Amino acid sequence: MTRSAFSAAVAFCMLAAPAVAQEPKRDLVVATSQADAGKLDPHLASAGADKGVLNWVFNALVRIRPGETSPEFIEPDLAESWTSSANGTEWTFTLRQGVECHGGYGEFTAEDAVYSIRRAANKETSAFSGDFAALDRVEAPDPYTVKVTLKTPIPSLLGLLSNYHGGLMVCGKAAEKLGADFSTHPIGTGPFEFVEYLPQQYIKLKANVAYFRGTPQLDTVTYRYIPSDATRDLAFQSGEVDMIFGRQNNQWVERTQAVPGAVVVGMEPAELNSLYLNKTVKPLDDIRVRQAIAHAIDRKLMVAFTGDKVAREAISVVPDGNLGVVDAGLFPYDPEKAKALLAEAGYPDGITLKTIQSSLPVLLKIMETLQADLKKSNITLDMQVVDHPTYMADIRKDLSQVTLYQAARFPVADVYLTQFFHSRSTVNTPGGVVNFSHCDAADAEIDAAKRELDPVKQKQLWKTAQEKIVADVCAVPFSEQLVVWAWNGALDLGYDLQGSLNLVPQLTEQTHFTK
Amino acid sequence: MPARRKFIIMLSFLIRRIALALTTGFVVLTLVFVVVRILPGDPAQVILGDMASEESLTALRQRLGLDRSLPAQYLDFVGGALSGDWGESMVTGRPVVTEIMTVLPWTIELTVVSLLLGTAVGVPLGVWAAVNRNRAVDYAVRVVSLLGLSFPAFVSAVILLLAFAIQLRWFPVISARSGSVGAWFQSITLPALSLGLIMAAYITRVTRSAMLEVLSEDYVRTARAKGVPWPAVVRRHALRNALLPIITVVGLFLGIQIGNSVLTEIVFNRPGLGKLIVGALNQRDYTMLQGMMVIYTLIVVFVNMLTDIAYGLADPRVKLQ
Repeated sequence: MTRSAFSAAVAFCMLAAPAVAQEPKRDLVVATSQADAGKLDPHLASAGADKGVLNWVFNALVRIRPGETSPEFIEPDLAESWTSSANGTEWTFTLRQGVECHGGYGEFTAEDAVYSIRRAANKETSAFSGDFAALDRVEAPDPYTVKVTLKTPIPSLLGLLSNYHGGLMVCGKAAEKLGADFSTHPIGTGPFEFVEYLPQQYIKLKANVAYFRGTPQLDTVTYRYIPSDATRDLAFQSGEVDMIFGRQNNQWVERTQAVPGAVVVGMEPAELNSLYLNKTVKPLDDIRVRQAIAHAIDRKLMVAFTGDKVAREAISVVPDGNLGVVDAGLFPYDPEKAKALLAEAGYPDGITLKTIQSSLPVLLKIMETLQADLKKSNITLDMQVVDHPTYMADIRKDLSQVTLYQAARFPVADVYLTQFFHSRSTVNTPGGVVNFSHCDAADAEIDAAKRELDPVKQKQLWKTAQEKIVADVCAVPFSEQLVVWAWNGALDLGYDLQGSLNLVPQLTEQTHFTK
Repeated sequence: MPARRKFIIMLSFLIRRIALALTTGFVVLTLVFVVVRILPGDPAQVILGDMASEESLTALRQRLGLDRSLPAQYLDFVGGALSGDWGESMVTGRPVVTEIMTVLPWTIELTVVSLLLGTAVGVPLGVWAAVNRNRAVDYAVRVVSLLGLSFPAFVSAVILLLAFAIQLRWFPVISARSGSVGAWFQSITLPALSLGLIMAAYITRVTRSAMLEVLSEDYVRTARAKGVPWPAVVRRHALRNALLPIITVVGLFLGIQIGNSVLTEIVFNRPGLGKLIVGALNQRDYTMLQGMMVIYTLIVVFVNMLTDIAYGLADPRVKLQ
């Protein structure tokens, strides 16, 4: 071969190369910060990382459109359509036909839906049974019709039956056959089906080729458990992992954005950071002291501390983005006024408050900043730092005068208002949940909103409730933190991601790699 | 000494050691139960999450048997432990024994490989430094081993990852692989180096000082005076007599290494006992914690027993004590 012929051959190969370019990847690797899987049963999983992966395996009767978090975006999922009675207590769902359960467990019918709802409402088999307290009965008049009857109307039955918490639908035959093993072999109807679980390593899923919305464009999804932040970052940099759970600070976001091709997103639902003040103990039983604390917290400073890419100022005692949230007129930052209020209440030299604080770095750093901020107004926080499980137990025993708590809930104002501010939810009582402040300022409005069927009036009641709680200073909300994820830019989720209720981006049949 | 008497002495030595190990095991079972129950925190709370009401928590505590009296729970635990039934994890619902046995081989593998690596590097280096006392080699070995001692395992782990997984790309970041020998080698190298080098540093220093002591003994001088070649003096007369402190350190390290492996497992993302116990502690998984602590204790007791027996083999005087 002459030199020119050889050069021509090389040039041809180089030109031809794009024609035989590699196919886009079809296997996705996602890494979470959880150390290992908990229960892989949708009715028992309470950790965000478990709920996230279960959402790729299971469907619900209705779903919140992928990428959104608000119940305003509820759309059909396993149910094609639904109707409700005028008083909101009887609901009838018509199911999609021909939906197959994974693993050859047959068609998903109304019987499976009834089985699932009863299972989710049973405290023996579900961590979310409390959400179904208003459920009277659920029946299947025919294979494609599900009838749900409530004792009393609730603000969002559709939310309850959506792809969140107890709303996920299991295949009854599989759950019965597998028994206790169901929590390690989840069988649903979703776009991806369970293949294997290796403890402390990963869960592997494969495409459900019979998925009713079409065969997924990804072949497999590996969900890896990588608890070390540094290792997760390095695995992302090395390309071993395509999508990672991120850290909630600007430095991390900026550093990860510098990784070639990386996409970093801060998504909803934002977790609201609030300081809950126990109204029943001295000196917090004096509203002037509580008002002083509200004036002493600089919301701008608290946002600047974590960074504006991952945090924003709180506007109410309910997280922004919740259905029914309003700008509730939080107290302005004014340390001089705070000192004056303390003096007026009989504490001219300031006060010292005892707080039990989690050692989780993300919470501890916030509390330390808060401690420095409050000190400017002569308010001393006496912090007792304990590990997170101890903190969780102790704050529910009323051992902390002020409690820093970070949370997101199903984004309807009712849920947050009920759990954090209704007297029925007061900690250390039989119905106690997370009302650390012993707040009872808006019980009447919260209850009335639950019964109200007119959405406009319902929102008005929630507005009044928020304003009353702010005025009574049951809590001082200051910032909201977004959930941060990063992924390889070649990955197209198939929708525009604003958020994900389960804190893990939804994967759908449309999710694919572009290269 | 007649063979029969020798055998009886050895047997009584073994019986004494085993009886001691059993007593230790029982005491530990009791301590484990008490310690786990003293921990503040509530497994029911962790399992159900923060949205659960007090009523659901009470119901779950009843289901898990946490509402029963402590003596009743203790009897159940000891009975179960003796019959090999350690119950199910309170958090995942999977049997404790299965969970432990799934990850135990990973920890044993890492510990044994790093132990071999540490010994293979540490003993020759220590001997080399001792026979070259106060020369450049000795100083170099002492400085390097001091550096090794000063490095926490997780720091060296991250440095190894940055160098070999990110810059050179010789090894994966996620080092849990199986299948071929190549995959195994890739998966074990960096974690074993991270743990093994720290151990090598300890063993080097102990070997060096033990050897220095023995090398100044009269019998070593006599051996040299008799004309025994220097390598043989070092190997047969000095090293054999310096073995006891080295065995002690290796035995101690086997226990420490299993504890150290927690961070190594987390940074290299390998499965293992360390990750399991940290998870169980964070989740207040009483049954899992109990099982894990018993396993750790059994390992330490077993290793101590092996060390004692190794003493006996290395030094005949030990059995007579």
